[in-house]
Amino acid sequence: MTQANLLTPPSSIPPPVALQLSQRAPPIIASSPTSSLPWPLSLLFNAETPETWTIHENLLLSALRTGDDKAARALLDRLTTRFGASNPRIITLRGIYEEGTAKSDKELETIFKKYEDILKEDPSNFAIRKRRVAVLKSLGRIQDAIIALTVLLENSPTDAEGWAELSELYVKVGAWGQAVFAMEEVLLIIPNAWTAHAQLATVHYLSSRSLSLPQLSALTLALKHFARSIELNESYLRGYYGLKLIAKDLIPILSSDAPSKRNNNEDDEVPLPRLETVKKLEELATNKLAEIVRQHGSGKKGWQGYDEAEVIAARELLDRDGKIER
Amino acid sequence: MNEERELAINPIVQTSVQHNTQVVSNIRNLTASLFGVAAGTLGLESYPGFIFYLIGTFIVSGLVFVFRAEGKPSEYFHRPLGDLWGGDVFSGLSSFVLTWTLFYGLVRA
Amino acid sequence: MAQPVVQTIHRDPALFWWILLPITVVMILTGILRHYAMILLQTAPKKQMLPQIRQQRSLVRGINLRTNANILSPSSFQARKVFMVSAYQDGKFLADPEARGKPRPNPMSDPAAMEGMMGMMKGNMAMMIPQTLIMGWINAFFSGFVIMKLPFPLTPQFKSMLQSGVGTRDLDVRWVSSLSWYFLTLFGLQPVYTFILGSNNSASQVTQQMSQMNPGAGLMGPEQDPDKLFLNEAENLEVLEHRWILDGVEDRLLARLSA
Repeated sequence: MTQANLLTPPSSIPPPVALQLSQRAPPIIASSPTSSLPWPLSLLFNAETPETWTIHENLLLSALRTGDDKAARALLDRLTTRFGASNPRIITLRGIYEEGTAKSDKELETIFKKYEDILKEDPSNFAIRKRRVAVLKSLGRIQDAIIALTVLLENSPTDAEGWAELSELYVKVGAWGQAVFAMEEVLLIIPNAWTAHAQLATVHYLSSRSLSLPQLSALTLALKHFARSIELNESYLRGYYGLKLIAKDLIPILSSDAPSKRNNNEDDEVPLPRLETVKKLEELATNKLAEIVRQHGSGKKGWQGYDEAEVIAARELLDRDGKIER
Repeated sequence: MNEERELAINPIVQTSVQHNTQVVSNIRNLTASLFGVAAGTLGLESYPGFIFYLIGTFIVSGLVFVFRAEGKPSEYFHRPLGDLWGGDVFSGLSSFVLTWTLFYGLVRA
Repeated sequence: MAQPVVQTIHRDPALFWWILLPITVVMILTGILRHYAMILLQTAPKKQMLPQIRQQRSLVRGINLRTNANILSPSSFQARKVFMVSAYQDGKFLADPEARGKPRPNPMSDPAAMEGMMGMMKGNMAMMIPQTLIMGWINAFFSGFVIMKLPFPLTPQFKSMLQSGVGTRDLDVRWVSSLSWYFLTLFGLQPVYTFILGSNNSASQVTQQMSQMNPGAGLMGPEQDPDKLFLNEAENLEVLEHRWILDGVEDRLLARLSA
């Protein structure tokens, strides 16, 4: 995992890291980046570096996450005085701040109204459009959020973030086909992201689980995408985890099904994997997961990048199997 | 076609490649300037000077191969032969000539 | 080189302090200045209207589909292809559906096109003006001095250029005047800029500009007809050969990890 710093925070910050980041706020707030000297001197004695404002922005976000509203306010004020209140980025940041400090649904509604007004003036402000979706989501109006997001993506179909969010929303309402479509769209934009492959595989897997009878083609696709995510990153825990789960589902179906019965699957152009391949894959995933759990547990260097929760889940999966070798 | 498929299966990440070439070209430029200083101070003229540069860059390539690529250039370069051993040789030439001329002029004045 | 006697010229050491050093310092400083001037001259990308954004990004979407088609399963690729091709052919993503089929206006009258050209002009100006200025400065101040001897021989053709202002006919070409030092610094200082300003600076773009004279007319330059681009892309998608990358991924993975 990337080292947590204020310049390039990892895209998903676990709570302890966010806390650690936001605790760095007081000294930064205390030191003023802009010089108070008159004009020609201020050019010479200026502590402002290109990084200053990136740090401010990231600090603002992590301060909001950890509930340090006072620090967030100070940072936001400073950013506003530097860039002006009409800067689109500042507008968005203020929106995030207001959302973060909103106490009730009522307040969120007013923020939503404000976003609508901004969008009426400038319909191409995509950051505000995204905030609007976020507000709808936190208000629990998933259907409205989906509609807002589809409008956004209709106008900006190259936004991987948006497609991923849409896929997640569709999963929430159980629209599997749409979720798969949105996730595939993400993959078209960033084809080598193993996380996206794993996410698509997860959606396929969930869709196969939600229906009463396990769908072979969805399971196969999930297997393939998990395999691809491992191919792209050989130490990807989620990939192995998913591989093992799916293999456990697939093996009984494949071994019970007679080959003749499989052919009557409607439009199956997805070739089913062979039974022995799946078995081998399961074995492989089990070994790899056991290795990860073992090495992570023993605190070995180079194996510590895994998320604690994911390792615990992997251990549990292995324990359930009763096959763990320590 | 086969190579294309191979590339799709094991993609080359553009930013990493850029980073690697950046590192290598930084090393090359710096060493080329230093070689220029050396050649100028030694008072090398015409062909010996260029041969000095070629030998120097070759040694640098060897050092990059051993220390930076850890003996496995195919993991760090898309085409090890061209990117590490050939190709880049002339990128440092202009800075070599600059410092060479400068120091030659200063020392042999 | 068939030079019977080695010519030596005794030069004043002050030449170094008063010509070589100033030229070098000025060259470095202009490089830095150019870098910051380019940053200042950069106009913020003009705000586009929503339909334009949509039009452009839809085209990019099609290109993405074409380049990364192989990660899709055959059925979903087919579905997408059919959708995109028909949408492209119907002009669904066009910002201005009425203007379809009409001839494009003259790019000179289009303000957006002018904008792009101005940007290029500015870049070239920031390159050309300092260069001519410095060359003029060197010619005015330092011509007529022989300041250094090149460590390598050159053919006599360079004589007129490298010894401009030095009126001696028999002088070896290796003795050069200040202008040639200018040329040496012009090309040799690129790594210095890289060290001072970071790799992505606009000071060291001399060589880059020389290598790529065509600065890529943008993905969708305003001078191009978007409808044509869409139809073109639709055609590209039609003939695309689709090979699913996930085909046989299980076996590949097994072969790789168990090996």
